[in-house]
Amino acid sequence: MIADFLRIAFLGGMLSVDRVAGWNLMLSQPLVAACLAGALVHPNPEWELWALRIPIAVGALLQLLLTNPALPAAQKPHDTATAGVVGSTVAVLGMAHLHASIPASAGGLLWVVLGVLAGLIAAVLGGWVHGLNRAAAVSDSRRAVALAAEGDAVGYERLYLGSLVRIFTLGALWSWCGSLALLAVTIAILPRLADLITVRRIGFVFAVLLGGALAAAYETHVRGVKGGLRWTAAGAAAAAALLLTLASEGA
Amino acid sequence: MIGDDPTTPEAPSLLPEAVAPLPEAPAAPLPLRARDLGAAASRLLHLQALLTADRMQGPGFAFAMVPVLRRLYPDRDRFAEAMGRHTAYVATHPIFSGYVLGAAARLEAKRAAGDPIDGARIDAMKRALASPLAAIGDPFFWVVLRPLSGLIAVLGIALFGAADPYEPDLRVLLCPLLLLLTYNAVALPTRWRGVGAGFAAAESPSSLLRALRFAEWREVFERCGALLYGALLALLAAGLHAATSAGGSGAGGLGAALVPLALGFTAARLLLRRGAAATVETALTVLTLATLVSLAL
Repeated sequence: MIADFLRIAFLGGMLSVDRVAGWNLMLSQPLVAACLAGALVHPNPEWELWALRIPIAVGALLQLLLTNPALPAAQKPHDTATAGVVGSTVAVLGMAHLHASIPASAGGLLWVVLGVLAGLIAAVLGGWVHGLNRAAAVSDSRRAVALAAEGDAVGYERLYLGSLVRIFTLGALWSWCGSLALLAVTIAILPRLADLITVRRIGFVFAVLLGGALAAAYETHVRGVKGGLRWTAAGAAAAAALLLTLASEGA
Repeated sequence: MIGDDPTTPEAPSLLPEAVAPLPEAPAAPLPLRARDLGAAASRLLHLQALLTADRMQGPGFAFAMVPVLRRLYPDRDRFAEAMGRHTAYVATHPIFSGYVLGAAARLEAKRAAGDPIDGARIDAMKRALASPLAAIGDPFFWVVLRPLSGLIAVLGIALFGAADPYEPDLRVLLCPLLLLLTYNAVALPTRWRGVGAGFAAAESPSSLLRALRFAEWREVFERCGALLYGALLALLAAGLHAATSAGGSGAGGLGAALVPLALGFTAARLLLRRGAAATVETALTVLTLATLVSLAL
């Protein structure tokens, strides 16, 4: 488990640099983050196949829920990069630890819902954690300007690279601490609620969450697009026709 | 340190007192090499590490310019002056920052070579290029391409299909790869070309801006997003139908699955219309409401 958390911390650090420092390679998108975390976490051998499946669902839901069509300046400072990492880790390790004490998981849907919840909480708390970086950047920026005015290139570069290391370290620490804290809370609380967890309830919550994800995707991809509903209908019709064709060929 | 001149110790002069010593000639600028521009371009990857509200990407832009300025201004004072110019406020889209850097490097090279280009002209060129590029890049890359690549990856989950239950599910690698390839197929070539294009068109930023066709592509990509959203709905409906049929619950089961789906959709849309930027809070509210309602089941 320590090795798992070290890998998760390294991944979280890299994703923070991607999101905050300007790489913008989209490694920090929730789906990528969740899937990479799922590939890096190794629970007991009997859960390894699940460890690959659950992160896909957690990542897909977080991707739709956290895709924000607003410009970055208009968004609240949420850490969507480590949301996928924390969500995926809590879901997979929670499953490995709690499967014996939770009788109903609705084919793994419980862990998906748990992962999405952990990811959303991590996004909010991670935004606060990265507030530390924003505060440090203000004072570093002043020092950088002073070094530039002196023509001290080496000092300037050292200061700048130091800020990159800070972003990495904060992301790594937050991924580590966030995963560990939310996993501990899950392990402490969920078994006490075992009687309330039924397949029907899990299915209901999952379906509502899926509906919410589709609404977020609608706001992003359809609302505000010229002829958006017509294009959506065309896409649905094309996919339905393709599915019917494939089904008839299969039959 | 840049431009450190070794201090000459005081020596007894053989010249008569009346002859003033010749002023020191400024160090000759070295020609800018492709390697310097390459080094500057690679540093643009870290453009936002010191992002602040008052200077935005200014410190990052100066960090990227260091290899260029170090080459052009071996003299420490001139280097410091140029660094001061580039730590000032710059706000552009990170993917397009290479265009601004290339153009600034060209003007700095001409200034170092003795052309009558003052610092104010370089600042004006940066402003003339950076803000319009931000206005082109933000709606295209942040509002359209990034969500679209995510949607394509989510669609990939349905299209690739679930693996054998006893085999590793390779979608865990394929779908993120699909997202990364979709986004970076557009973003990386734009970054790659930026510095060279900006360097070539430094004298006429308006022609550079006119040559970028991203506003037209934006409409195409937006429609693709709506089209793929429709396809996602159809695939989801088919998946739900298959799941409820396999469970033996038929049309009643499908209806039972659609009701909470519709509830979640409606609740999230209402909340998002009130605060479109609060996606995380909306999702948390929907999840809390769903959990509370489920307790009544």
